[in-house]
Amino acid sequence: MSEQTFLVLTALAEEPLHGYAIVQAVEQLSEGRTVLRVGTLYGVLDRLVADGFAERDREEVHQGRLRRYYKLTDSGVRALQAEVARLSANVRAASAVLRGRGVQAWANNA
Amino acid sequence: MGEQRVSNLERRYRLLLKVLPRWYRQDREEEMVGIFLADRTDELDLEHSWPGWGETGAVLGLAVRTHLAAGAALTNVPMKVAWRGEIVRALGMIGLLLGVFYAGASITSMVYAYQHPEIVGGLTWMRVFDVAPIVAFVALLAKKRTTAKLAALAAALPAVVTVGPHIGAWLLFQLPSLVTFVALCLGFHREAPTPPVRRLAWWGGGALLVGVLGGFALGAFVVPVAAVVLRVVAFVRGDFVLGRALSVFAVLELAPLAFLLAGGEVFGVALVLAVLLVISAVAPVRRVRTS
Repeated sequence: MSEQTFLVLTALAEEPLHGYAIVQAVEQLSEGRTVLRVGTLYGVLDRLVADGFAERDREEVHQGRLRRYYKLTDSGVRALQAEVARLSANVRAASAVLRGRGVQAWANNA
Repeated sequence: MGEQRVSNLERRYRLLLKVLPRWYRQDREEEMVGIFLADRTDELDLEHSWPGWGETGAVLGLAVRTHLAAGAALTNVPMKVAWRGEIVRALGMIGLLLGVFYAGASITSMVYAYQHPEIVGGLTWMRVFDVAPIVAFVALLAKKRTTAKLAALAAALPAVVTVGPHIGAWLLFQLPSLVTFVALCLGFHREAPTPPVRRLAWWGGGALLVGVLGGFALGAFVVPVAAVVLRVVAFVRGDFVLGRALSVFAVLELAPLAFLLAGGEVFGVALVLAVLLVISAVAPVRRVRTS
């Protein structure tokens, strides 16, 4: 699963969101590292819907523009769970290796 | 939608979105424009800006995928568009099978060259590229799509670097590997369905075996005959996708073979091949109606 897909799934896990809200949520979740372009967002959404991980929700008109909401399916929640478990296992393994070298797992960049 | 003045930026973005297929735009254009303009409120920006390179690239990427029916589950994609993607993928797979056959034949000829360097002048490192289609085929079945495309590019590389003054003959001879590479790139994007591994593994093994045992000479018969037989099977089973893919395959990938043989001393053979290929190319296809 690509990082973009993972972030979109995470954004949708909280509540159904429209496209612009997904872009904003992904930027916040990634602390500004991932800024989805519109063309990219729809590529990701197409894949998620094709895989049965997300589906269309309601539609609204906001300031004269169409907003279509997307929500996670149960299958999408399970896919996110599985990815979180996979990534967590990787983080635990890497942390253990770093601790073995006497280095703390999280560098303090502040 | 409400009454509002259309800015130059919106007009330019809508113009860019025209690269997307009509069926996709009908469903998504308003939504996409809404997101693109959501935080653009500066009047100067709205009047004088253009969609950036990044956005343009993202929309072009989306255009390639949607023209080949990715996202089909999302919207009501017309059936002819859905088939286009399937046909391109089938063409890529058939092209790879042809490549695997050639690789098998090349392995046999490499062994011969190694054993008889005095006759055929020994081996050159360029022959490494000959087995690249096998790598591409195995990688594709293992769902390593990027590796598969890179290997297919490696298979097509000698074609690119050896272009000489006889462009026509070069194009005819090298077209198969180039077509296969392009079909793989276009058809096997991330949303594309995974090819049926077990069945294709048998086909790949068979192609390799025919190549190794029969070499180029036998293959020149086996491949067109197999194409015609498969074409008949596709017709009987109503497999429209396989039928159309074989038509394109016959024209783009096999016709050069017959053309090349026609120039030698085996004109009669080439004629038979040409007839088989014409049958493959223009024979009718049948479509089993599902609704």
